[in-house]
Amino acid sequence: MVITKDHIGGLAFLCLSAAYGYYTGDIPMLPGDEYEPFNAQTLPTVLAFMGGILSIALIVNASKNGGERLSLQGYDFGIVIKLLVLVILFGLALEWVGFLLSTMLFLIGGYWVLGERRWKMLIIASLPFSVFIWFSLSQLLDIYLAPGRLITMLFGG
Amino acid sequence: MLDGIFVGLSTAIMPFNIMMVVVGCFAGTFIGMLPGLGPISAVALMIPITYGLDPSSGIILMAGVYYGAVFGGSTSSILINAPGCSSTVVTSFDGYPIAQRGQAGKALALAAYCSFTGGTVGAIILLFAAPALATVSLSFQSGDYFALMVLGLTAVAAFSGKGQVIKAMIMTVFGLMIATMGADVMTGVPRFTFGSLDLLDGVSFLLLAMATFALTEVIMSVMKGQHLEKDPEINMAALGSMKLSKEEVKEVAPTVARSSVFGFIIGVLPGAGATIASFLAYGMERNFASAKEKLKFGKGSLRGLAAPETANNAASTGSFVPLLTLGIPGSGTTAIMLGALIAAGVQPGPRLFVDNPDVFWSVIISMYFGNLVLLILNLPLIPYISRLLAIPRPILIPLILFFSVTGVYLVSFNTFDIQMMVFITVIAIFLKMLDFPMAPMLLGYILGDIMEQNLSRSMVLSDGSLSFLWERPLTLTIMIIAVILLLMPLISKLLGKRNKTAAS
Repeated sequence: MVITKDHIGGLAFLCLSAAYGYYTGDIPMLPGDEYEPFNAQTLPTVLAFMGGILSIALIVNASKNGGERLSLQGYDFGIVIKLLVLVILFGLALEWVGFLLSTMLFLIGGYWVLGERRWKMLIIASLPFSVFIWFSLSQLLDIYLAPGRLITMLFGG
Repeated sequence: MLDGIFVGLSTAIMPFNIMMVVVGCFAGTFIGMLPGLGPISAVALMIPITYGLDPSSGIILMAGVYYGAVFGGSTSSILINAPGCSSTVVTSFDGYPIAQRGQAGKALALAAYCSFTGGTVGAIILLFAAPALATVSLSFQSGDYFALMVLGLTAVAAFSGKGQVIKAMIMTVFGLMIATMGADVMTGVPRFTFGSLDLLDGVSFLLLAMATFALTEVIMSVMKGQHLEKDPEINMAALGSMKLSKEEVKEVAPTVARSSVFGFIIGVLPGAGATIASFLAYGMERNFASAKEKLKFGKGSLRGLAAPETANNAASTGSFVPLLTLGIPGSGTTAIMLGALIAAGVQPGPRLFVDNPDVFWSVIISMYFGNLVLLILNLPLIPYISRLLAIPRPILIPLILFFSVTGVYLVSFNTFDIQMMVFITVIAIFLKMLDFPMAPMLLGYILGDIMEQNLSRSMVLSDGSLSFLWERPLTLTIMIIAVILLLMPLISKLLGKRNKTAAS
């Protein structure tokens, strides 16, 4: 049997529905709610069953009609991981070094990952933009942007 | 109705709101031009901005972005044969050959005139259709609402294309599952939060929309190596004249008239939307054409360009009918607008034009302005706007990433949301690689809470029985349509088999 995209998708959703159904039992209920026609567990239970039935239907249908196989060729996963890690680091940096610096670092990092190596370009495309955004948010729109823990630790609040 | 039109007019012509239309159309045109980023991503990127605005200004901005993006998509289809979104794929069939003949200016102008006419005719029909439908739907009860939402969700699955129906249904259920995360709307008890305080509010709509559309689209384009492709060179001098001759206008006029009405009707159907409308209008026009003209289709026929361009804009307008009158979005883009409106404290639905007439009417009125802006401002500026396409991708992509991530962060100021976004993006990329459609998930998520409330209310009223589904003729009719839609792929398959055996 050939494992197609639909087999993988169906199986993934079957597992998800099973886990969802399992955790549905953990939903706390208010006293007496279990005798009500509709409580906090009703819809999740129905959804878990529907998810299960549909995933099995997808798997059965895929076995009957065949389909496309999942091909990983031609995809650059390395760059995706780098960009996603960069986004996570951006989140962490926001907390530690504040908005302005983290935006600049994020943009430089992003340009670098995508192949831009000219230092002049890296700075020109990030510094004025970051300052502009920071200025518009904090000065024009009056949105409070926390200065970052590290900055507060070093220079005081 | 006249009162309403005046309220809408006075809201829409406020200088700030006119500015929103202009800004929206420009931003939309630019984002829509970028290959891979369609109207859904363009509208999603605007949500954070709308949070700081009045609901009516917010939706006017988003509506402007919507038509702008559809128009921008056709521009890149015509100029560089790279459709910005799926609804303008058909535009490239005839638009690009015309451009290659050195008449890109003419193709762009025709596209703009057709979009304008399609959008305007759509807006006029909407002006009469929406209040009429809204009046009828005022008599709806919770059971009817529940049935309507079931219909909306099944329609999206049914129209999702051959072989995709089960997948679309799974994605709808997945969206409903995500909607159940966080505190229960009825009782307040936490569901699927796994003890995390960050999850008590559930997954925010903005986060989900940004992660599954804007972020995923951009990252998928990088994954496929599109950032390495050489940027298209657009020769501005070769655009040619933007004027259409009298004969040409005469040739396309009937096409435009037909496609406007046709596109609008398709747009009203939940789940069908601009893409299907443009494909069907192109097909219809080919059938209407004489044998000699049929040969021109695909090689630069003006009618072949006019039909899809008119239909996709009329359909974009049509998709506002179910959104404004029933609170049920007809497409992924209007689903995002629904979410943004709910977040702004406005509940679209039959009560919208009673409770918030300013929102209801100003959207409709601003559609005229939007179409006008596209025609008067965007068309002459197209050569300059398309120059923005020359920004190198390695610079553009991090900027789009930045806007989508900070858009979410600046609403919650919680860095947990950024990590959550990355997590959801990874899942979305995996699902997209397996050809699962994303729009049904978003639709399921947005309708999830309202659907659960209506279902629970109906079940409590009918003492735990499901009889409310067939006791009122209206509910029963809606449910029957939903079941027919659901079974349609199965029925057509069986019919196909029977025809095959009969033929053999």
